[in-house]
Amino acid sequence: MTTGTRTTERVPVVRCVGLTKFFGGVCGLADVSLDLFAGEIVGLVGENGAGKSTLTKILSGVHSPDRGELWFGSERVGSLTPHRARMLGVETVYQTLELCDNRSAPANIVLGQEPVRFSVGPLKFVDRKAAARIAAERLSSFGTALPDSDVAVRRLSGGQRQAIAIARAMMRGNRLMTFDEPTAALGIRQKRATWDLIRRVASEGVAVLLISHNVDEVLELAGRIVALRLGRLTLDARTEAVTRDEVEAHMSGLAR
Amino acid sequence: MHLIFAIGVIFVVLAFRDSNYFEIDNLRVVLLNSSSVAIASVGMAYLMVAGGIDLSIGSIFVAAGFAAGDLSLHTSPVIAVLGGLALAGGLGLVNGLLVWRIRVSPIIVTLGTLTLIEGVVTVVSKGAGVYGFPGGFLSIGQATPLGVPTEIWLMIAFAVVAAIILATTTIGAHIYALGGNREASELAGVRVRRLTLGLFVFAGLAAGLAGIITSARFGVADISFGVDFNLNVITATILGGVAFSGGEGTVGGVMLAVIFLNVVSSGLIASGVNPYYSDVITGAALVVSVGLEQLTHERNDRIRREVALAEMLAAGGSDETAAPVGKSSRSFAALSPWRDR
Repeated sequence: MTTGTRTTERVPVVRCVGLTKFFGGVCGLADVSLDLFAGEIVGLVGENGAGKSTLTKILSGVHSPDRGELWFGSERVGSLTPHRARMLGVETVYQTLELCDNRSAPANIVLGQEPVRFSVGPLKFVDRKAAARIAAERLSSFGTALPDSDVAVRRLSGGQRQAIAIARAMMRGNRLMTFDEPTAALGIRQKRATWDLIRRVASEGVAVLLISHNVDEVLELAGRIVALRLGRLTLDARTEAVTRDEVEAHMSGLAR
Repeated sequence: MHLIFAIGVIFVVLAFRDSNYFEIDNLRVVLLNSSSVAIASVGMAYLMVAGGIDLSIGSIFVAAGFAAGDLSLHTSPVIAVLGGLALAGGLGLVNGLLVWRIRVSPIIVTLGTLTLIEGVVTVVSKGAGVYGFPGGFLSIGQATPLGVPTEIWLMIAFAVVAAIILATTTIGAHIYALGGNREASELAGVRVRRLTLGLFVFAGLAAGLAGIITSARFGVADISFGVDFNLNVITATILGGVAFSGGEGTVGGVMLAVIFLNVVSSGLIASGVNPYYSDVITGAALVVSVGLEQLTHERNDRIRREVALAEMLAAGGSDETAAPVGKSSRSFAALSPWRDR
């Protein structure tokens, strides 16, 4: 679950200082500072265009900030690329899951980091048994089992596909996992199943950033809530310290 | 695979009509005619599985054959071959860079380079063929180590190695992934740019190799050689199970398709049928296989819908909505704008 203590000695696994990003003349982020700690679920809320996805993309190396600093642990990170971010343990799970429909679950989970049986020069021969084993292990820790691990994931249920997407992200996402609208189109039962998965990820010591427009979900899962509005951080408070109305007010900027 | 069945049927039919068909000589000719298309199809298959396509390989085929042939008149055969291959690889790289940089469909870009390269070859050759190659160069195409022509050895070796790499290595896995979902591959750490360019180079090299061998075998390099080549290669690739949209297909399937198409056309000729009918068959095969692929897409969509529906019903109740099953496969060969993806 989320961490309850507020130890000022903790080193954030990810620290953003004054991040600013412009797209042409449009301000994506303005002077955003945020700390993310291991094992903590931080809910990131905001209207469309508030800067949530800009922030995520900066954290995952897709965009580089025009101003500001990014720190992973005690190291300053400059010129981050998606590849380097991944190597540093930052992963994102998208609403669309972004799976390769034509490939099997093990193939999807180990994509980009396939276990190698042996190499001949530049050619690396995939260890399919090891891949299947890794997939089975990770999926079973999510309570998901696949009767046939060779089947293309397009034939699998939504719940299985989500578990696969999260399992893939967890292969390298040991620092920060961002969930981008994970339950936006799911029914109640699947929402709860996904929440369990997210809590499980956090319990493994990963910092979790939960992007959601569903305030109830954020209140349910997150230990801390952060709100963005028009690129600016308007709220950064522990969940128990704010009310639902306050959160919404900070998202929309409406005076109460 | 249904192709094996089809080939079997054709063999039986032909055996009926002409019992001489099964002579080793005939089969050798079939394989020989297949080999240049087969080699180029392997390269094309790799590129198409990843979601790309190169329509200019017909011109690369001709250009490499010309370059190697011409070089052989002035230098050693080895240099001639290397020169031809370098040109082919370079042209493939140009295609890849254009496709990558100009984010327009590869079909359009390579259609342009097809004409461009052909034009340059015509200008440089002044419309004439090149011939009179020295024996050393000719032996590449005409030698028969162990009684089997070099081309066939090359085709077999090339196909076997390519099939193994595609099926069992990380590069193969990445190629399939790229064809299945380009964004996901990039996010997963696949070096998409490097792989894409490499595949275009490989397709060019394969076409170039085929062209060089053909020049050596016939002792002549001529523009007309490339005329049907494009169509034959693409038809064989798609008939062999490589989806136009990427993500599916095997080298083995493509090899079978090449042989099938050749068996059909040579069988028709051997039976005394008008050789143009083989064009009809080839064209029909292409249309049918693309049609089958579209039907498969629709079937996949239906499967997805059924899975989602079953989920919804199993969960029971109207408060459950089916989970989004994700976007369908995406590729950078963005063809069929009217097709729902």
